[in-house]
Amino acid sequence: MRWAVPEAEFMDPGTLGCQGCGGTLSMRLVLKELGDDAIAVLPACCWSIIDGPWPVHALNIPVFHTAFETAAVVATGIKAAKQIKGKDTTVVAWAGDGGTFDIGLQALSGAAERNEDIVFICYDNEAYMNTGIQRSSATPLGTWTTTTPDERPEPRPKKDIMGIMAAHRIPYAATATVAYPDDLSRKVRTALAAKGGMRFLHLLSACPPGWKMAADDAIEAMRRAVQTNVFPLYEVRDGREYKITHWPEAEVDVADYFSLQGRFAPLLADDALLNLVRNNVRERWWFLVERHQQSLRKASSPDGAHLH
Amino acid sequence: MSTLNHVDDYPEIPVSLASTRTILKTGAWRSVRPVLAERSAPCSAACPAGVGIPAYLQDIKEGRPKEAFAALTSRNPFPRITGRVCPHFCEQACNLEEKTGRDSVSIRSIERWLGDETAHLPHPVPSRETGKQVAVVGSGPAGLAAAFYLRRSGHEVTVFDRRDLPGGMLRYGIPDYRLPTVIVDEELARLEAMGIEFRNGVALGSDLTLDDLEATYAAVFVATGAGRERTVGIEGESLLEPGLAFLEATGRGEVALPGDRCAVIGGGNTAMDVARVLRRLGAEVTVLYRRTVTEMPAIREEYEHAVADGVTFKWLTLPRAVKKQDGKLIVTVEDMWLGEPDESGRRRPMPTGVSRELRFHGVFSATGETADLTPFPDRLMSSDGWLSLAENGATTDPLVYAGGDLATGPATVIEAIVAGRRAARAIDHQLGLDRLWPEDNPIEVVGSAEVNPTYVPRHDRTADHVAEWAGPFAEESVTMTDAEVLYEIERCLSCGHCNACGTCFVFCPDGVITWEDGPVIDYEFCKGCGICVAECPGHAMILVNEREVSHV
Ligand SMILES: Cc1cc2nc3c(=O)[nH]c(=O)nc-3n(C[C@H](O)[C@H](O)[C@H](O)COP(=O)(O)OP(=O)(O)OC[C@H]3O[C@@H](n4cnc5c(N)ncnc54)[C@H](O)[C@@H]3O)c2cc1C
Ligand SMILES: Cc1ncc(C[n+]2csc(CCOP(=O)(O)OP(=O)(O)O)c2C)c(N)n1
Ligand code: SF4
Ligand code: SF4
Ligand SMILES: [Mg+2]
Repeated sequence: MRWAVPEAEFMDPGTLGCQGCGGTLSMRLVLKELGDDAIAVLPACCWSIIDGPWPVHALNIPVFHTAFETAAVVATGIKAAKQIKGKDTTVVAWAGDGGTFDIGLQALSGAAERNEDIVFICYDNEAYMNTGIQRSSATPLGTWTTTTPDERPEPRPKKDIMGIMAAHRIPYAATATVAYPDDLSRKVRTALAAKGGMRFLHLLSACPPGWKMAADDAIEAMRRAVQTNVFPLYEVRDGREYKITHWPEAEVDVADYFSLQGRFAPLLADDALLNLVRNNVRERWWFLVERHQQSLRKASSPDGAHLH
Repeated sequence: MSTLNHVDDYPEIPVSLASTRTILKTGAWRSVRPVLAERSAPCSAACPAGVGIPAYLQDIKEGRPKEAFAALTSRNPFPRITGRVCPHFCEQACNLEEKTGRDSVSIRSIERWLGDETAHLPHPVPSRETGKQVAVVGSGPAGLAAAFYLRRSGHEVTVFDRRDLPGGMLRYGIPDYRLPTVIVDEELARLEAMGIEFRNGVALGSDLTLDDLEATYAAVFVATGAGRERTVGIEGESLLEPGLAFLEATGRGEVALPGDRCAVIGGGNTAMDVARVLRRLGAEVTVLYRRTVTEMPAIREEYEHAVADGVTFKWLTLPRAVKKQDGKLIVTVEDMWLGEPDESGRRRPMPTGVSRELRFHGVFSATGETADLTPFPDRLMSSDGWLSLAENGATTDPLVYAGGDLATGPATVIEAIVAGRRAARAIDHQLGLDRLWPEDNPIEVVGSAEVNPTYVPRHDRTADHVAEWAGPFAEESVTMTDAEVLYEIERCLSCGHCNACGTCFVFCPDGVITWEDGPVIDYEFCKGCGICVAECPGHAMILVNEREVSHV
């Protein structure tokens, strides 16, 4: 095999994810690195369904279903109980963008601020998919959802969740996507190695029905998000040390990403809006490049070893 | 409100303990199913021999050169030779080039490496003898390939050639700097080790007739090539040196330069090699060709090599007459222009009426070759005076087959090999011996629109290197290193052939592909999203409509 992805599976087939679900694949690949000494906490989201209805479920690790807003705090409690029992089990809060960017943000911020020893993973499909594609604060500017129809597409840019997490100065935060499996695997391993504090992974996860595209385009869509710099792959240590982990070879226009998905029809129909988005993407990319270079300079300066 | 002090104080909560596998048969959602489907890669389809390129590349990659050699030689017994001189029809068709604009995979260089790597391996000896004797006349690539496959089938094979040593154009045409004679000799030794008998210095027609052969042998394959040189048809013809004869003489080590200024008339492969040999021996060489570079029949690479050697080309130059003056040859040439295309599709050279005189020490003719049909009795001829041949080389006499340059006119080594192999197969069939010939390649060819080049590395193509100058006839290029070969193989998409890259396994969202040296799809659960098919680099999987799948 050409891939550095482990062969062992910790997710059974028979999940209820839609055809081509990026969230399902995200879970499958993350679990391969997590192994079986782990517990997943799922707030309300597609994954509450995907894992299967009682009395069956798909993951080969214990899953705790919990209320929409509570993923981080429930994970914190379970970790505390495990610690009391002298167990080193990895506790993962696995939430959608709604359960992370919106309703889950308070609990997440609290856990991050306390630097809880948990891994919080957001599989971001950029809307409330489970309840029928309503917008969230992760929905990008100019996007169609059922609550932001074509005539009135999403008016606000996507919330900068990575910036928020970095501001908490947690040990490790990273973006990743299953379209780059080796990068994803490595980041999960890095997060596991950084145990003792809060780790955050932001995984862009295609949703074919919610993104209005063919199921078999799912990987290509996530790949193009990276190639166009719409979703750069990077990691942040201690909230300050930035590192871009994948450098696109050539500048690919954002339209290449948008044109694959029906949800971006309003963007593609409005040149001014498209230009605005294009500029936002560039600006954001150059911001990251600058942070990346700054971190390199600091690391090579004599007093740069300690950023804290 | 109750206090929760003991585990028994907690209310019961539902817990799922069984696997989704037990009841959620998501395969029922599917309307299309992915299936592994071996199809032809465009390179394999373009190779006259149909060599299964992605498959043997995988063998090399996974450290099985013997298997790669067996796979290759099931269609082409001489990778060491074609790996050096073939015009690589395969590379022209490579999907990588079409899809991405990157250079094609260096298939020929890999083939050459494999040939060299396995040069010490003996060819398989037949497991059983058929007791049939088959004669092959002509020991060029067509005859040698036929002998190889016939012997492999267990026949007793004798190869006759009018020359003192076998090999045909491999020995006496293609010069050593492109194909060293030692390689031809080593290949011949391997054939001898299989039990093939060579009888040299026996000419069909004068020493022996087809009737003589038919009296002794169960079948005869004739591949006497196209070795008769065309004359230029100009005044002073006798002052010209025939190019092919010159190449043969140099091949025998009889090197003689007529002087330091030479001209070669013609634009085919023979002209290129004559010009290059002269140049490499130190002469100043001018090729006189009546059309331009675009219409020239020589293999493009050979023209480029000639230019690199320092050969000069005079285009639109038609020799009209040659005469001798003060020990020099004066060639009168007329300038031409290009008119309408002729039957060959190339623009026809038209006279301008403007003539000049050029001076040389020696002038060589290389304007093409034809077959000598005199050894063939009239009963084998068609009404147009040519040999009457079926596609598999069958003549009108059921015991006699023919092929190679003899049948096609000057062509290529690999086409000659194919003719030999095809005739061997036809002879086997004719003799009623149901030897297991490999199945024919799948007809369906993977198109460039189907492949996914995302996962192959983007590095530049690597091919044979130029060798350091070690004399005019020392091999001019060097075989790639092991590391370079592996690196180059990584660029291959493996069109239509699962090379166990694992991409489908990694990307299946539902984990329904298990890995048993390759992908195994569990249709009980596959939802038919099609991601495995879309991501498979070489599109070795296809989607089939469920309605077309018969259920048991
Ligand atoms: C100078 C030159 C360069 C070439 N370069 C290339 C190249 O780079 N790549 C490529 O693919 N192709 C090349 N070719 C073409 C290639 O060599 C031929 O297409 C190929 O050798 C044809 O094979 P064959 O077996 O049909 O005939 P040949 O190779 O011509 O062999 C015919 C054999 O039959 C023998 N024979 C003839 N008459 C009789 C008789 N009456 N009785 C007994 N034996 C007889 C001859 O002695 C000879 O050994 C080149 C050809 C020439 C001349
Ligand atoms: C407090 C509360 N409000 C609303 C809901 C209904 N609800 C269930 S899942 C969901 C959407 C979840 O969206 P997201 O977190 O993005 O995950 P996704 O379904 O998109 O994977 C909503 C609104 C709920 N379960 N609880
Ligand atoms: S993706 Fe790779 S392993 Fe899967 S079918 Fe294609 S070549 Fe084979
Ligand atoms: S990726 Fe998996 S689920 Fe999708 S079609 Fe292929 S085998 Fe089926
Ligand atoms: Mg969501």
